Amino acid sequence: MAYKLTVNGLVHEIDADPSTPLLWVLRDHLGMTGTKYGCGIAQCGACTVHLDGMPTRSCQVPLDSAAGSDVKTIEGLSSDSSHPLQQLWVELNVPQCGYCQAGMLMAAAALLEKIPKPSDQDIDLYVDNVCRCGTYPRVRAAIHKAAASSKA
Amino acid sequence: MGTMPDISRRKLLVTAGAFGGGMALGIVAAEQADAAFLTPLPWGDADTAAGAELSPWIAIGPDNIVTVRVATPEIGNGVMTQAPMLVAEELACDWKLIRAEYAPTSRDYREDGVYRMGDGPIGYFSGRSTSSERMKLLLQVGASARERLKAAAAAAWKVPAAEIEARDSTLTHKASGHSATYGEFAAKAATVKLNAEPAPKPQSEWTLLGKASPPKLNIPAIVNGSLIYGMDVRVPGMVYAALRQSPVHGGKIGRFDPEPIRKMPGVLAVVTVDPDEPRAGLKLVTGFPYEDTHARAAVAVIAEHYWQARKALDALQVEWDDGAGAKWKSTDQMVDACVSALERKADSVEKQTGDVSILKNQDKVVEATYVTPFSDQAPMEPLNGTALVTADRIDVWHPAQQSRQAFLVAADESGMDPSKVFFHQTFIGGAFGRRIFADDVRMVVAIAKKFPGRPVHTIWSREEQTRQGKYRPLVAAKLKAGLDKTGLPAVFVANQASKGHFPRLADSPYALGCIPNVLVDVRKLPFHVVTGAYRGPGYNSYAFMVESFIDECAHAAGVDPLEYRLKLLAKWPDEGWTKCLKEVADKSGWGKTLPKGWAQGVAIANWGMNGKPQAGTTVAVVATVEVTNAGKLTVHQLDAAFDCGRIANRDAVENLAQGGLIFGLNMALNEEINVKDGRMVEGNFDQYPILRTGDTPKINIHFGGLSGHDRFSELGEPPAGPVGPAIANAIFRATGKRVRSTPLRKHDLSWA
Repeated sequence: MAYKLTVNGLVHEIDADPSTPLLWVLRDHLGMTGTKYGCGIAQCGACTVHLDGMPTRSCQVPLDSAAGSDVKTIEGLSSDSSHPLQQLWVELNVPQCGYCQAGMLMAAAALLEKIPKPSDQDIDLYVDNVCRCGTYPRVRAAIHKAAASSKA
Repeated sequence: MGTMPDISRRKLLVTAGAFGGGMALGIVAAEQADAAFLTPLPWGDADTAAGAELSPWIAIGPDNIVTVRVATPEIGNGVMTQAPMLVAEELACDWKLIRAEYAPTSRDYREDGVYRMGDGPIGYFSGRSTSSERMKLLLQVGASARERLKAAAAAAWKVPAAEIEARDSTLTHKASGHSATYGEFAAKAATVKLNAEPAPKPQSEWTLLGKASPPKLNIPAIVNGSLIYGMDVRVPGMVYAALRQSPVHGGKIGRFDPEPIRKMPGVLAVVTVDPDEPRAGLKLVTGFPYEDTHARAAVAVIAEHYWQARKALDALQVEWDDGAGAKWKSTDQMVDACVSALERKADSVEKQTGDVSILKNQDKVVEATYVTPFSDQAPMEPLNGTALVTADRIDVWHPAQQSRQAFLVAADESGMDPSKVFFHQTFIGGAFGRRIFADDVRMVVAIAKKFPGRPVHTIWSREEQTRQGKYRPLVAAKLKAGLDKTGLPAVFVANQASKGHFPRLADSPYALGCIPNVLVDVRKLPFHVVTGAYRGPGYNSYAFMVESFIDECAHAAGVDPLEYRLKLLAKWPDEGWTKCLKEVADKSGWGKTLPKGWAQGVAIANWGMNGKPQAGTTVAVVATVEVTNAGKLTVHQLDAAFDCGRIANRDAVENLAQGGLIFGLNMALNEEINVKDGRMVEGNFDQYPILRTGDTPKINIHFGGLSGHDRFSELGEPPAGPVGPAIANAIFRATGKRVRSTPLRKHDLSWA
């Protein structure tokens, strides 16, 4: 049977095995490859998307439970890379290889929506994604800078 | 030059096949003059370049876009930005008009190594955008192109070329009022032959290098998710393979019955890979000869979608013939084998100076045995790659760390002549040495050739990637020093044992002159576990061992460990070492009073010196740590000073140094791959922990150690070495406990 899923504002009908993780639905069935596979067990956060507004590791959400939800991916974080975090990521040269950064950005964006002026501890708690290149100091700096320049 | 009509067509198809979220990703260079700097699809297509070629490295289009071809794959170290910066410095073009693309290996093959120029066999290796030969070359091609543009304009305007100014991609002749873009004269300039090559300007006149740190070209495509890594390749008709290899390295497939899974949804085929089947036997010329690129015994399920392939593979029962490796029942057994081997005669001697038989005559003898474990590079992008094998050609889309090796391995595995191999380098989600050898490319092609006619994207699960590693080797070393009356070592002996040996322990000032009597020798162990390159091969173990041991010598001599190193290195003809030590001591407040349970430790090491002073990159680290009575270790701060000679991009250097220290920190604290009944134990990040934001100490990178010597050595590997020993040395000073193996998290550090 086909499942309905809203991704970045567009409704899709997906005919796939109900156990297929949302991660692979996005990547293989919808061709949206910005959301990354890193571990498959919700450890690394490379696959983080917003599911009904909540930061969620999409590798652990089967299609049948995601069905009917509203999903936001890195491709939908902004239409033109204008999200303050996206701009600061460029300005502060945050990424190295960049593979984990979509997940980092989605986790960081969700944090700022919930806590506009996060403390270091808030960042530690909410942005606990794995980055093997070690971009953590810059991720933290960019989040603080985004918070400092927001009007909230 | 041959034509490759198919390749352009495929490129467009690939482009059209990638879509998402209402945002078209299909942008090719010629169509995006105002867009991001770099196309999400980076593979070069140099036969149909948009513009006139002023060298194989530079094309300038009528739209004034400068395309720079880069041979060194971008692994996160910024090479794909640094190489264009070198060209732009001399070309004097507008940085906003720069585009970068990968230099095609096919053309390199046809044109006799055109893109390996300067760096020979490792000209396609990811790590070396600022190697001295490559720097010279790229500065020269930039200068040459600039002068030819001037000459072309001079001929058209009938004015002397010397009166023409080239700046910001514009040619101007003030006296006559003529002005034109580079793009307008690019085609003519491509035909100009200069009587003499222009000399690149002196470094003192650089305006971009050493001055600017522009955002890396690929970041705009990273932050919107459009950058195409190997994992993101989408080719029409593509199918997916899920992979399982012999859980004991070196084992073979025993029995399995594919029938029950053949009928599972989406399953197209079940194929096997046999390491012993005949291969082309192409003679590889590579910069990384220490290990082969052999295939492993494997079963792969091919299906329409990855999840279908994965589910079917998970349902497949395979009996393996484990082979000789199964005799290694535990990690301890392997460590014991290494440590016992230290007592036997060496297989080879790596360094011998003076007379080490006087060891026993010294005032004090210090002796200790160190062990570092197997560790996985654990790049965030699991190994994967896509190949399409047809009767007359093979195409491979792959995140390789060294494109040319991948190209040749693809030829070897497919049996195709290299002229029929088309290798498309993708972006890379981390490598750290794991993607150098191209054993992953061999597996991708080995599977695809069993399913010809359709592109097959093979994906290692994280567990498969971790357990089928090419690991940092397990190393044991017994170090001995004889201290003379001054407390400094007069004799240094290092007996080492490992599988996957890297001859680098003696590549240190201690063994190259600072200690007069030296012996470094080696024993090789016949382990089945596959080893390879891991950020700073060899160095990542030896730095821990040697720098911990020097601290033991300092303690035995009753001298402050920082002072001890300054004394020991006083004779070394490379002031960078002392500069780094003094800088990091000064900036970290070395010697300051700390609370009980807190301490600082210091270490210094160099990657890349290759036996010479004033070479490679020296890094000194001070770690500030706290150990509670119960033994809980917290690394509060890492201070680092470094000397790579000079720097071409301050922010890029700082970024790499930060990352390298964090990598070294994780290596020391956490990383270990274990063996049980021949099989690798750890599979995923729950068992192989990686530090996260909240675990990261304050990190300070200090620039006062730079000697200014005329070299621009790399920053990727060097910081990873001294972190572990600096922490271990701090632990000793905090607790009195000397830790002689990693990972540090496994040690009982409690103290009273």
